[in-house]
Amino acid sequence: MTAAAQKLWPWKLLLAVILIGMAAGTWGAVNRIDYTWRWNRVPQYFVYQGEEPHKIPFDGQVTAIAEKGEKAVLTLTSDAGETVKRSIEADTLRVEEGEYLFEGDTVGFTTHWAFGPLMTGLWTTLWLSAGASILALCIGLLTGLARISKNYTLRGLAALYVEFIRGTPLLVQIFIAYFFIGTVFDLSRNVAGMGALAIFAGAYVAEIVRAGIQSISKGQMEAARSLGMNLVQAMIYIILPQALKRILPPLAGQFISLIKDSSLVSVIAITDLTKSGREIITSTFATFEIWLTVAAMYLIVTSVLSQLVFYMERRLAISD
Amino acid sequence: MIEARNVVKVFTGRGQEVRAVDDVSTTVAKGEVVVVIGPSGSGKSTFLRCLNGLETFDSGHVIIDGKDLANRRTDLNKVRAEVGMVFQQFNLFPHKSVLENITLAQRIVRRRNKDDAWKKSRQLLKKVGIAEKEGEYPSRLSGGQQQRVAIARALAMDPKVMLFDEPTSALDPEMVGEVLDVMKQLAREGMTMVVVTHEMGFAREVADRVLFMDFGKLVEEGTPEHFFKAPREERTKLFLSQVL
Repeated sequence: MTAAAQKLWPWKLLLAVILIGMAAGTWGAVNRIDYTWRWNRVPQYFVYQGEEPHKIPFDGQVTAIAEKGEKAVLTLTSDAGETVKRSIEADTLRVEEGEYLFEGDTVGFTTHWAFGPLMTGLWTTLWLSAGASILALCIGLLTGLARISKNYTLRGLAALYVEFIRGTPLLVQIFIAYFFIGTVFDLSRNVAGMGALAIFAGAYVAEIVRAGIQSISKGQMEAARSLGMNLVQAMIYIILPQALKRILPPLAGQFISLIKDSSLVSVIAITDLTKSGREIITSTFATFEIWLTVAAMYLIVTSVLSQLVFYMERRLAISD
Repeated sequence: MIEARNVVKVFTGRGQEVRAVDDVSTTVAKGEVVVVIGPSGSGKSTFLRCLNGLETFDSGHVIIDGKDLANRRTDLNKVRAEVGMVFQQFNLFPHKSVLENITLAQRIVRRRNKDDAWKKSRQLLKKVGIAEKEGEYPSRLSGGQQQRVAIARALAMDPKVMLFDEPTSALDPEMVGEVLDVMKQLAREGMTMVVVTHEMGFAREVADRVLFMDFGKLVEEGTPEHFFKAPREERTKLFLSQVL
């Protein structure tokens, strides 16, 4: 054991004690309000076994039932002599051989695994954030470049955009995007929601991009131009790759924020992870469990992302 | 090859005007090596940067190989591709390897194919004496090596003129020699060169002509013999007495 590690252990112990103390405190407080934990209700909202009914497509008879392990194969024959076969779960069999049925009668069920609302909500959150991130990167890149442009009008437009977006709450922007702009231009809630998130994050990305470009020494641009590259070539091949490497950490932070901020689109009835959680609670009253689960799911997504960025940073650092 | 006519560059800041380059006229013939000397802040670097349009100037003309930089219709990018420049701080591209540093502009400005560009780059690396470093990133090289890569990068464009902006000022003393040797070799091969430097030895040995600038003005010009042995102007004499 090194000297540094020896000095560290009391602090590690203290950390553990504090965490355990907080957990115990929470536990005691929850016990006092007499809350019944029902963690067993949560898994079904990730995946569940769905049942699909099978119906007879005509008036007719069950002419044969063959059981094969857990499956049962039914042969159905219509009055006109037409036959069809249906394979169902053996234990859901509802008919007997020789029974006469009318069109639309259920003969049995097949089961399959399906994603519950927490997973579909997570999926919505993911694609919504991913789409908004890509758009935000494009918007931010263009706005960031406009911010340092020599053209007064471009500079002014970019500055106004950034100022307006950073000076108003995202929630209000989402309302404006959906109820005002969405109504005028007939946008779906998904388009309005993703658009609002992209425009919001784009303003912050623009500032990050601007700072990143300005942090690259002037000599780089001069060297590129002295070799005969035009402004666009110098930007694409020399300035932006270096700037990107520098802005990767703040950019990643911005995208992680975006994932968390995407929970706000639930106010315009997009069924993302947060709204799914709320809907589950209205039917189960498992308030504590669901919100803790939802929080954990956000946490997993954001930590995976920050690990990914950490890995990319190390890859990009090879030229240092 | 280069003709500067009444070039004026004014910097304005906090209401003050500084004439960094004040009515400078000179010509550089093909194959000539011109060294520009002068105290710091004399405008010699600014003047050099006017010669490839990195610095815009307020009046006058700079004519490179028949093209007037003051003319708005001149394509500056085309002119710069013909004018190599080497900077005090090297300004290598840190995110690219040595070979990529030299190859990039050949590919996207000269539109050479990959094989030709690599061949040219390796040939130049050999010429500046660091062929074995082609895969390294600039941060792994010493200052002298970086500057030699920068020279190779500029030469890769087959420039008609090379401009050097204090190429040895940022180097540790023991590395100055290796860079100057490359420059001397270039001069011997007949490259047209304009060199801003404090290396009086280099000026004396290699220059065909020496320009002395002070307070933005071209004070005196002449051959090294004339310049170092019998300067006419008082200010030149004063400067030389301080540096020699």
